[in-house]
Amino acid sequence: MGLKVGIDFGTSNSGVAVFDGHEVHLLPVDRKSALPEVVKSILYITRDFKHYIGQEAVELYYRHNVGRLRRFEKKWVGELEFRGADMFYVRDVYTYVDVLKPGRLLQLIKSALRAGNYPGTQIFDRYYTLTDLISVYLRSLKERAETLLQEPISEVTLGRPVKFSEDAQRDRQAEDVLRQVANQAGFQRVSFELEPVAAALFYELTLEQPQNVLIFDFGGGTLDITIMRLGDQRHRKVYANNGIGIAGSDFDRAIIEKRLMPHFGKGRADLDPDLLELVNAVSDWVALPDLSTPPAKYNLERAIREGLAPARLKTLETLIFNDLAFSFYNGVESAKIALSDQGATVIGLQTNQLDIWELYTRYQFERDIHEHREKIREVLLQTVSDSGLEAEQIDAVVKTGGSSSIPAFTEMLGEIFGAEKVKSSDTFSSVTAGLAIRARSS
Amino acid sequence: MITHDKIDEWINEVEERPASAPNIIRYIARRLSDLTNRNEELLNENIALRLGKKVEEYESRIASLEYQLEILKRQVSSGVVAEEMLSSNASAPPTVSLLVYNGLGQVLRVELDSLDLISTNSSFRFSKQIVVEGFVPRLLITSTLEELLFVFDSGRAVTAPVVAIPSAGKDALDWEQAFIQEPRGSEELTTILPIAKMTLAELCIQTSRRGFVKKMGESFFESCVTNLYVGTGTKQKQDKTCSMQLCEKNDLFVMVSKEGRSFTMEANQLPLTIEPAFQIGATDHIVTTFTVSKKPYLLFVTNNGKAVYRDIQWLEQANTFRTQGQLVFSKARRDSGTWIVGAAAVDEKDWGAALTSDGDLRLYRVNDLFENGTLGISEVVDFVIYGSESRN
Repeated sequence: MGLKVGIDFGTSNSGVAVFDGHEVHLLPVDRKSALPEVVKSILYITRDFKHYIGQEAVELYYRHNVGRLRRFEKKWVGELEFRGADMFYVRDVYTYVDVLKPGRLLQLIKSALRAGNYPGTQIFDRYYTLTDLISVYLRSLKERAETLLQEPISEVTLGRPVKFSEDAQRDRQAEDVLRQVANQAGFQRVSFELEPVAAALFYELTLEQPQNVLIFDFGGGTLDITIMRLGDQRHRKVYANNGIGIAGSDFDRAIIEKRLMPHFGKGRADLDPDLLELVNAVSDWVALPDLSTPPAKYNLERAIREGLAPARLKTLETLIFNDLAFSFYNGVESAKIALSDQGATVIGLQTNQLDIWELYTRYQFERDIHEHREKIREVLLQTVSDSGLEAEQIDAVVKTGGSSSIPAFTEMLGEIFGAEKVKSSDTFSSVTAGLAIRARSS
Repeated sequence: MITHDKIDEWINEVEERPASAPNIIRYIARRLSDLTNRNEELLNENIALRLGKKVEEYESRIASLEYQLEILKRQVSSGVVAEEMLSSNASAPPTVSLLVYNGLGQVLRVELDSLDLISTNSSFRFSKQIVVEGFVPRLLITSTLEELLFVFDSGRAVTAPVVAIPSAGKDALDWEQAFIQEPRGSEELTTILPIAKMTLAELCIQTSRRGFVKKMGESFFESCVTNLYVGTGTKQKQDKTCSMQLCEKNDLFVMVSKEGRSFTMEANQLPLTIEPAFQIGATDHIVTTFTVSKKPYLLFVTNNGKAVYRDIQWLEQANTFRTQGQLVFSKARRDSGTWIVGAAAVDEKDWGAALTSDGDLRLYRVNDLFENGTLGISEVVDFVIYGSESRN
């Protein structure tokens, strides 16, 4: 019989913890990270099909890709059949493949579980289904944890958002996929706990008397809200659970769409559909690296030669063809994080061919996410209403997850429940810790 | 892209949170300063374009690239030209140049014939002060057939063949005879890198005085050279590049600081972006960097003329960045006013040159330094090695 652990497989970050009955031990599964207990949910697969996760994946990606050479070869990928009233013909379909590409970086894998329409992806000569990708990641986490604990791990309690999807069938499918993946990764027994409930269990360790607690678990992919009675293990009660698919990655996208797209030609190159497709792809970091093809380069250079916003399109070309997408999105995320502590920051990316400088203030950020904020307010009030409690009857509001540090949401919680009730739990690890507590009792 | 709407939004931020105002002003001022510098560069370029200087510059660049290609062809196809010349008798044509340069872009070239290299303790003298406007000169020994990359603290670079620098007389060196690779504005010439063999190297490593490091892949570095911009290589305002190093991925890269600490890491493990690799004290700075592949010994030279050598196994590779490195000599010695002026990986056949603060410039055989343990001079300001690898 092996150990039982809790794993929070998050959209942006993950973690592993074990509970010995008295204390939760968060495992330092990413020694290269500034917070070793938090490992980025990033997977890098090299041409020889070696897998790397977390900071190691990021470093390797930079080492392999920035400023590298490219060589494109045209490859046959299949054929299309055309049928008309009196004609039928078959046309070959080709694609350009960068034969010097050293590896593929995958991020936000968990979002694909929610979307439900991502079957998988071709990585060099192999096809990885979504379950393969998550399984590779979880197996790496398991191996690292086993090395640290010096014991095999057989059981896991995995966290899951309150709603993978609004559609109940898709929601069930996503959980089934995650269970199958965990089995594939080598866990013999798999159980699930809602992420905000897990955060609540961790918070409960600090309570001396029973309380009605609202958990505001706001991470990279979803916002999950749970209202629970905590403090007396025999009389724990979940009053209401709710969730919404808005979180950190949506805010990053809003910043790019509303503030940064003009740097890449938005508004200047809109009349050329080929260019517009490239410009619009800037906000989609998964799509961007795949755009580095000879036809895209040809289109960009043609437009630059013709004098159509040359400086901006050169910026776009540099972003796509110098593998700067990852640095760019990291810069946007860092700026968003910086605005939690200060009123202004700069989103910048400078090379000798590209100079992006955008002074960005908290006022602007709050305007850019205004719509999201209103939806979140609605869901929050709806959850309180579903719980049957009045806002005054909530004794504490516990924030957890990276996005919960955004001041606009702290203010919103303060307005509704009273600022003195709003507390922060361990931003990145409270869910992991709660899952470990649940794993022990399961 | 600054629009009226954005300015209004910044004002709204300040109205809502007055504490943001200093930050916003700081960001805008910094940007303004960067743009002013950039504007001056562009204006200079514009003037150069109008005067036709740019065309001349490109023609000269094409000529030097062709020259570089020719050298490379000769080195690859017909073997080791410089080596043959060096190993031949004293009547062989001069093939090695000793360069003395400073931050003002002044470069003196002394051609060393075989006699200079074979006879130990060959020396040359400066007739006047060697320190001009506070810039202490630095040395470089290289093949006369080389192409040089002059790197300025702004990140700008210029290429020129060694032979484009007129040879100075050996009797009394004087900055007035110097070739000038003119800095623009307040620029400072920080280092010179021989680049004829750049296409044979896998990496180029840029190091700053404060121990920040960046590695560039071969193709990226080539494009930097083509664009004549290698980057400042720094993150701190007062910092500047102190060295550029071509090497293979598996070579060990070593940084040595003035106060006698060394940092070693495999070149391939160094970061692609500018990172602080070596944690050095506030009063310390990097004086030299070198790579180790086949050489069996390390040679450290101090300001008071001591030559300390160690086996290459002495080097301990760092596993992480920001380490404090290995101590080359004790704290007591450092406190008594000893510091490092030069270091390199060497073998017995190599040569070195040392420059003292009173303008004495001497050549040494490394073998002699191993035997004597001293240069026999004091107040050394720089020491460089010309090795058998350099001749290949």
